[in-house]
Amino acid sequence: MKVRFWGVRGSIPVPGRATSRYGGNTSCVEVRPRNGSPIIIDAGTGLRRLGKSLMEEAFGDGRGSATILISHTHWDHVQGLPFFSPLYRAGNKVEIFARQRDTHLEAVFSQQHDSPYFPVPMSAMQADMSFRELLEGARFELPGGIRISCTRLNHPWVAMAYRIDCDRASLVYCADTAPFADILFGREFVTTPPALDQPLPPDVAAELDRMRAGVVALAKGADLLIYDTQFTYEEYRLRPHWGHSHPDDAIQIARDAGVKRLCLFHHAPMRSDDDNDRILAKYRGVVAAQGDPFSLDSAFEGLEIPLGDQ
Amino acid sequence: MKIRFWGVRGSIPAPGPDTIRYGGNTSCVSVETRTGGLVVIDMGTGLMHLGNHLMTGAFGKGQGRASILLSHTHWDHIQGLGFFPPVFVAGNQFTVWGPGGSPEVLEGILEGQMDPNFSPLQTLKNFSATFDVRAVRCGLPFDAEGLRVTCREHPHGSATALAFRIDDGTRTFVYASDVGQPDAGAPPHPDAIAFYQGADVLLHDTTYRPEDQATRRNRGFSSYEDAADAAIAARVGKLVMFHYDQDYSDADVDELLASCRATLDARGGAAIGLVPAREGEELEI
Ligand SMILES: [Zn+2]
Ligand SMILES: [Zn+2]
Ligand SMILES: [Zn+2]
Repeated sequence: MKVRFWGVRGSIPVPGRATSRYGGNTSCVEVRPRNGSPIIIDAGTGLRRLGKSLMEEAFGDGRGSATILISHTHWDHVQGLPFFSPLYRAGNKVEIFARQRDTHLEAVFSQQHDSPYFPVPMSAMQADMSFRELLEGARFELPGGIRISCTRLNHPWVAMAYRIDCDRASLVYCADTAPFADILFGREFVTTPPALDQPLPPDVAAELDRMRAGVVALAKGADLLIYDTQFTYEEYRLRPHWGHSHPDDAIQIARDAGVKRLCLFHHAPMRSDDDNDRILAKYRGVVAAQGDPFSLDSAFEGLEIPLGDQ
Repeated sequence: MKIRFWGVRGSIPAPGPDTIRYGGNTSCVSVETRTGGLVVIDMGTGLMHLGNHLMTGAFGKGQGRASILLSHTHWDHIQGLGFFPPVFVAGNQFTVWGPGGSPEVLEGILEGQMDPNFSPLQTLKNFSATFDVRAVRCGLPFDAEGLRVTCREHPHGSATALAFRIDDGTRTFVYASDVGQPDAGAPPHPDAIAFYQGADVLLHDTTYRPEDQATRRNRGFSSYEDAADAAIAARVGKLVMFHYDQDYSDADVDELLASCRATLDARGGAAIGLVPAREGEELEI
């Protein structure tokens, strides 16, 4: 299979000179099995360009089919969907998986098309569109023997990590998540940062440990781990209540899971290309100095990573 | 008045190497008054960059105030709000003027953007600044930071968008983005022309080339020809091009600019100045 990044940014798209090398589009990753239809992880603004490229293929004639896995429905992970051209072509088939919410997924996604916000109603999307609700721990198969599994991440209102096993290789997508320490995210809005490095109530600590173990198990031996590193370590210390992680934490997860390759992802909006270069160089040094057996990349728009059978 | 462009793009932010010169952020324009007051028009992603800039001054200390004029509530005109740092500083004060007919309806629409399914902010109530939402009544002028503002409702696809006429006593600036032209070949609407009449600067929707507009007329945007015709009919001093289609590269916008200039010249508007809105640039009126 082949992995291609179409959007690598977190929170909000950031056009401009300072981000033109890594790219300013919000989260969207395409996974192309050797045989079979594309699997798309997250539907940030990067999805718009991916859609245009898919229209050059079977999707342009209404004969395409795709699977979209949504980590969670925060704007930066869904805002590209109304601009995904294949959905407006009758005959195309798109199956969207996301974690169950209080309201049915279709209702959640159609809110984005409500008339005060968007000129085109979801009913104008003529493709065969279906929504599949997931709970953490779910496992299912796609045609061609592609196996998908998922686990819960530590993020406000719950995000899901996904693992795709296909073509004798595996990739794991972990965005968005905070480290499994300091704070357990649920439904409450956290106004002020909690005290760091303090012992947590035993039930909270146990829940975070369970969640972390779930992520490590999901990523076990993966050929590629894509991880939310919105913050640097120092930035995380100032904003632990925002629900995002940093490279030191990602590296520790990669070690514990024994992955072969780690990719930094979901870059902060104000992170310039030069900042990203510096962060990557610094942590490549850390990984080399520790003798870690995995390689380190930082995701940029257009980055392609072949995995397993081609 | 000093106008500054923070976001000039329509529909969805368009990052990429081919939008660097004009910019890929969605609609946001600031107007600084002669006495240092601040009026912001629309809250697309450009608003985040305006906010970062404002934080270096009074807004960073919770001593800022501004009026925000909202043309309509499509995503590309409100999606910057949750990323506008001054709303998280207690003491700052914002008055928001927009559509919806009542403050409750408009606030409800803005609140919907913060729904916990979509935004970690969960609700506007988590803003620390004062955020006073008011609905405009077209035909009823109001005061925004000492500027006199009137508005007009334009057709915009299946919806409408407000245009604002802003007057500081000596100069006039009109903001008219997302202006639909439902009937092909129809002359500019006389009421719209009356609204723009004699403005020193008319910022007008130029989303499309005429040939692209022809296949997408139902989306509710103008072509550069519509903008040029309106500028000529209303005898404005200067025309500002704005709200470029997300698929247009810098080279496409260069071409839009040249074509718009040629249209003005050919149709009797040779004396009208033409400025393409470009992120980060200023225009003194
Ligand atoms: Zn995110
Ligand atoms: Zn999120
Ligand atoms: Zn617009």
